[in-house]
Amino acid sequence: MTDTAMEAADLTLAYGRRRAPALRGCSFRLAAGRVCAVVGPNGAGKSTLLALAAGLLRPTSGRLAVLGGSPADVRTRIAYVAQDKPLYPQLTIAETLRLGAELNPGRWDAALAARVVADGELDPGARVRSLSGGQRTRVALALALGKRAELLLLDEPMADLDPLARHQLMGTLMAEAAEHGTTVVMSSHIVGELADTCDHLLLVSGGRVRLGGGIDDLVNAHALITGARPLTDLAAHTVVESHATGRGLTALVRPDGPLRLDSGWDVEEPSLEELLLAHLRSPDAPPLLTPGANPADRTAVTA
Amino acid sequence: MTTASLTPSPTPTAADTSPTPVPRGTHRSVLRLHRTTLWAALALTVLALAVTGYLRLAHEGRPGLIRLLGLSNADDLLHTYLQRGSVALLFVPLAVAAFTAGPLVARELEAGLHKFAWTQGDSPARWLGARLTVAAVLAVAAGLAVLAVFWVGGSGLVHAVGDSLYLGWSDGPVYAATGPVAVAYCLLAAAVGALAGLLVRRTLLAMSAAGAVTGAVLWLLSSVRWDLFPVRTATGSSARERANWFPGDVPADNYVMDQGVTNAAGERFAPGQCLPDHPAPSCPADTRVVEAWADFHPRSHFWYVQLIETGIVLALAAAAVYAGFWLLRRRTP
Repeated sequence: MTDTAMEAADLTLAYGRRRAPALRGCSFRLAAGRVCAVVGPNGAGKSTLLALAAGLLRPTSGRLAVLGGSPADVRTRIAYVAQDKPLYPQLTIAETLRLGAELNPGRWDAALAARVVADGELDPGARVRSLSGGQRTRVALALALGKRAELLLLDEPMADLDPLARHQLMGTLMAEAAEHGTTVVMSSHIVGELADTCDHLLLVSGGRVRLGGGIDDLVNAHALITGARPLTDLAAHTVVESHATGRGLTALVRPDGPLRLDSGWDVEEPSLEELLLAHLRSPDAPPLLTPGANPADRTAVTA
Repeated sequence: MTTASLTPSPTPTAADTSPTPVPRGTHRSVLRLHRTTLWAALALTVLALAVTGYLRLAHEGRPGLIRLLGLSNADDLLHTYLQRGSVALLFVPLAVAAFTAGPLVARELEAGLHKFAWTQGDSPARWLGARLTVAAVLAVAAGLAVLAVFWVGGSGLVHAVGDSLYLGWSDGPVYAATGPVAVAYCLLAAAVGALAGLLVRRTLLAMSAAGAVTGAVLWLLSSVRWDLFPVRTATGSSARERANWFPGDVPADNYVMDQGVTNAAGERFAPGQCLPDHPAPSCPADTRVVEAWADFHPRSHFWYVQLIETGIVLALAAAAVYAGFWLLRRRTP
C-alpha cells in the first residue's frame, strides 16, 4: 500500500488532434486518506481528470499513477461515479445492486449498498428508468460505496440532490471514508458544498492545476489586504489579484516572505471562496502547490 | 474535516494479495440486460419452426390442415414459403449484426454505461469479451436456427427432380440456409457488429453500418463463391450435342456456370450470338460447331464451396474481433 493516492506528472489529454487539450501539463500529488475537492469552472477539465484516474481514458502524454499503479491495474480498488450517473435503465434497483455484487466478487459490501438505497426510501423493485435524477445519484453512490474501494472518484456527486439528501449522503460518505481510510476525490463547482467536508483542494482551470494542497495550507499561504496605499508597496510579494475599493485597494497576496507593511494596510485571512474566486479571475497568477502536493518536492525528499 | 488526521488503513479485502477472479457475473449481466431481446428471438424461432413444420406436414399428405385455413394447395404454399422464406433467412445475419452493434456495444458507449461497467470490476477487454461471447453464442444459435427452420421445411426437397417443388441447391438463399456458411455469416455479423459499435459509438448509426457491411460481404461472396472452386468441364461432339449446344454427360443436379460450343480451332463461342447473318464482334471467323461444352459444378462441389466460404467468412470475423480489441486497447489505458 502506498501513501500516495494520485500522482500526476505532466499529464496532458486532448480529445482530438485539432481540439485544444482538456488537460495540459498537470502535475500534482495527492496523499492517501485525504478528502480532496477538485474545483474549477465549467469545462475546466475536472471530469477529464477524474475519468483519467478511473482508467476510462488514456493520457495523450504524461503519466498518472493511482494507488501506486496505472489506473488500468487498480480498477478493482477504485470506485467512480460519472457526472451523468450512468446506470442500466432497464434494471431494477435490486438488480443493479446484484450486478454490483456480481462484478465485484470478494469485496462487495451488500449491507452498506442496501442501506444507502434504503435511506432514500427507494423501492428496490423500481426500475432505474423511473427514478429521478437525485434518486439515480443515490443508487450510483450506493454502488460506489458497496465496492469498498480505496479511492472514490465522484464527479459532481451532489449536484442533483436535495439539501436533506445531500447532507445525509455526504454524512454516510464521510463516515465510511473515515472508518476505512478511503481517499475521496470529488469535483464540484459549488465551493460551499466542499469547504466543510474536504481537507484538500485541487483548483483546475483552463486545463491546468492552479492550486493544490491542504485547504488550510492554501488559505494560510495567502493574505487579503486592504488599504489606501499604492500597489507598489506589495512589490515584494505575489499579488494574485487586486482591485480598487471604496477606501483604496483590496488585494489577494501570496506573501513571499514576512509581510512587513506600513500601518495603512489591513491584513486578513481570506475565506476559501475569496481565494478560489481571486484565482479564477486572474488566470495569469502563478500556480501554487503546497509542499505535500508537489510531486517535485517529494522526489527531492526521497532522493 | 473528519478524515484529515487519519492515516490510511488497508481495506479489509483480499484484493491486495490475491489476483482478481474473473467475475462470472459479467456474462450473466449481459444476458440479464438483454433478456427481452433474447426471449423474443427464441419466441420468433419457435414460431418459425412451428409455421414451417405445419406447412411441411400439410405438404406431406395432410392437405386438410391447409384447407382448414381456407387455402387450396399445400405444395404451392410450401414452395412459395420456402423460396421467400430462404430469402428472408438471409436477413438473420443482418439482425445479429444490428443487435450486436447497437444494443450490445454502441448504446453502452453512447449512454456512458461503459463508464459504469469499466469501473465496477469489468476491465474494458473483459467488457468487450463478455459482449462478444454472448453475441457469438447468439450467432451460433441463430445460424443453427436458420439451418433448423430450413431443414424442417425443405429437407429432401432441395433439388428433388420430379417433385413439384424445385429448390436448387446452388440458389443463393437455399445454399446459405443449408450449410455451415449459415453459422459462419452469423458469427461474422457478431464480430462486425461489435467492431462497428466500437468505431461508431452511436446506436442507430452503428446498427446500420454493421448491417450494411455484413450485407455487403454476403452479397460480394455470394457473387464470387462459385469461382472459388474449379469447375468441371464436359464436352460432347455427337450430332445431337452439337445441335443442342450442350454436352450430354452433365449430371442432372448440376449447376452450369457457362456453356457454349467450340470450332475446329478450339475457340469457344456462343452459337446464338454468331449466326451467319449477324455475327457479333466477339465471334471467331470459323463458326462451324465441332463440339459442345459446359462448365459446371456437380452437386458434390457444394461442400467444397461451403467449406471454403466458411473459412473465408470466419477469417474475416477473426480479423474484425482482433480489430475491435486493438481499438479498445488503443483508447483505454
